[in-house]
Amino acid sequence: MRGKRFRPWSALLNGYGLLFLAFLYLPLGLIVVYSFNANPINMAEWTGFTLDWYATIFRGASTEGNFDAAFTESPERIFGVIRNSFLVALCAASVATVIGTATAIALARYRFFGKRFYQALLLLPMLVPDIVLGIALLIFFVGAGIELGLMTIIIGHITFLSSYVFVVVSARLAGMDTTLEQASADLGAGPLTTFRRVTLPQIMPGVVGGFLLAFIISLDDVVITYFIAGVGSQTLPLFILAMMRRGLRPQITALAVLILLFSLTVASIGLILRNRKS
Amino acid sequence: MDFLQIVSASKHYQTPEGPPVKALDGVTIDVKNNEFLTLLGPSGCGKTTLLKCIAGFEDLDSGDLILGGKSLRDVPAHRRPFNTVFQNYALFPHMTVIQNVGYGLDVAGVAKAERDRRVGEALELVGLAGFGGRRPSQLSGGQQQRVALARSLVLKPKVLLLDEPLSALDRKMREAMQIELKTLQHAVGITFVFVTHDQEEALAMSDRIAVLSQGRLQQLDTPTGIYDRPANGFVANFVGTSNLFVGTITARNGESVTLETANGRQLRATGNRFQIGDQVRLVLRPEHLKILAPGEGPDRDGSVIQGRIKETVFVGSTIQVHADVGFGRTVILLHPHDNRNAQREIAPGAEVRIGYAAESAHLIAVADD
Repeated sequence: MRGKRFRPWSALLNGYGLLFLAFLYLPLGLIVVYSFNANPINMAEWTGFTLDWYATIFRGASTEGNFDAAFTESPERIFGVIRNSFLVALCAASVATVIGTATAIALARYRFFGKRFYQALLLLPMLVPDIVLGIALLIFFVGAGIELGLMTIIIGHITFLSSYVFVVVSARLAGMDTTLEQASADLGAGPLTTFRRVTLPQIMPGVVGGFLLAFIISLDDVVITYFIAGVGSQTLPLFILAMMRRGLRPQITALAVLILLFSLTVASIGLILRNRKS
Repeated sequence: MDFLQIVSASKHYQTPEGPPVKALDGVTIDVKNNEFLTLLGPSGCGKTTLLKCIAGFEDLDSGDLILGGKSLRDVPAHRRPFNTVFQNYALFPHMTVIQNVGYGLDVAGVAKAERDRRVGEALELVGLAGFGGRRPSQLSGGQQQRVALARSLVLKPKVLLLDEPLSALDRKMREAMQIELKTLQHAVGITFVFVTHDQEEALAMSDRIAVLSQGRLQQLDTPTGIYDRPANGFVANFVGTSNLFVGTITARNGESVTLETANGRQLRATGNRFQIGDQVRLVLRPEHLKILAPGEGPDRDGSVIQGRIKETVFVGSTIQVHADVGFGRTVILLHPHDNRNAQREIAPGAEVRIGYAAESAHLIAVADD
């Protein structure tokens, strides 16, 4: 189908479109360029191509060369916090997916007292400012005498990630034909069998999408995690934030590019899965 | 012995604003074993609600469903020995045809070898052998319809419930499926309860028809019974085309009665249910009305109505004639199409005498509406 033509405006519109894309992607492009710049002091000045900054992430700083050891973290530290981040994201996203999916089904398929109110309460964690949620969780954990650590981060993340999964799965459920579930019951399947063999396969793209979204959000959460992380339980974003306090060093740009690559991969897998299912 | 009894079934729905709507209002039907029963009515008459209540997707407010002497009210849908063919077929899109048809058997724990055999038989029965590996989205509407039928029939239900299953098909396919469904019902010997708003479909397929309107059962009878002896004005108008005259009975001689309309029209009919002075409705079907040749009298004790042809509609085997019979009334009749006859007198503007036989005039009490 051909769109409408705005001949006198088309050049202007195209220009605007390109500008907007530049606005979106120029900073990201810049960080990628910087991560390959050999200049260790001033990133804005190109002095040659290097992979050294990536090498420091995996091998640590070598003793010779222009490395500033004080500003370079060891691979053990980096992979320690990456492991923490993945552990938190995996656990929190998994639990949130179960809770969010179950809630979405309850709200989409059953009638019960206070349903509207319940629905509003579920969406609230997404709207409450992160800093308020972070402080609230901290007060709760301290008050309840729970020692801060990876477990408190996981619990904290589950509270708001469940809302995101709920929204994504609800959208999928709303588009599902409810007579499929009736047909399953009609053919003799009990509620559990119907869920396992009809409802779940139908909403699977939503469930997977909700999980991936929750995973990514958990992976880069700073504000809430900052409040409820214990001393020995730093996550990757907190770690980078701490590194930044000592100045923007090339190793950080290399780390940022690796995180960017990972996020793009996860998002692509999500999209591919979604297209294949539908 | 009664098979499935629907006893004073009632159900209402709460509307967002205003009073509750009665979807079913004291409907009682005894469904016989192995019959093809059609629930017929306009949209909103309660026919689909009744079907859902039988299937177990909805609960009755009051009344009962009794199968073989036992109430079904506390039996959930997945434990009732009924299966449904849905209006949109509701085939599982993520399963193949074989998996769809085998679903009920699989859930019931039937072993794979037995299951494969029965699925094969069911697909054979609906003429879809060889389509087992396909997904529903790779099938035409008619084929999906057959898969839905096979999926239900493979479980050998006591009753097969069909919710307007032909409405999504085009006319040719629909007519073919009507015959096929009827043949299938004879072959499998299962009771069919079929919901439709299409009166031609109901007449063509059913052993008995239950006509519903506004949640109430209007008439339960054979197709010919419904057509020839409609119980009230609603049935007379909804099933087929009717010419209705309201009048008071002025004379009665044995079976032969005469009624007079408010316009002074004298019309004769046959019946013994009514007395002189009763208000009645006279039902005349278009095919029972005949344009009389000059000098010809009406058949067997009937009457003659004077009219002028307003419009003729050629429908193939017959010509539908709309005739103005005075006092603002139009009568519809079917005139046989025969190209050897001079058709000149059957043209708009022609004065005609319309006759009918007294025995073809059916009487309804006005109070029955």
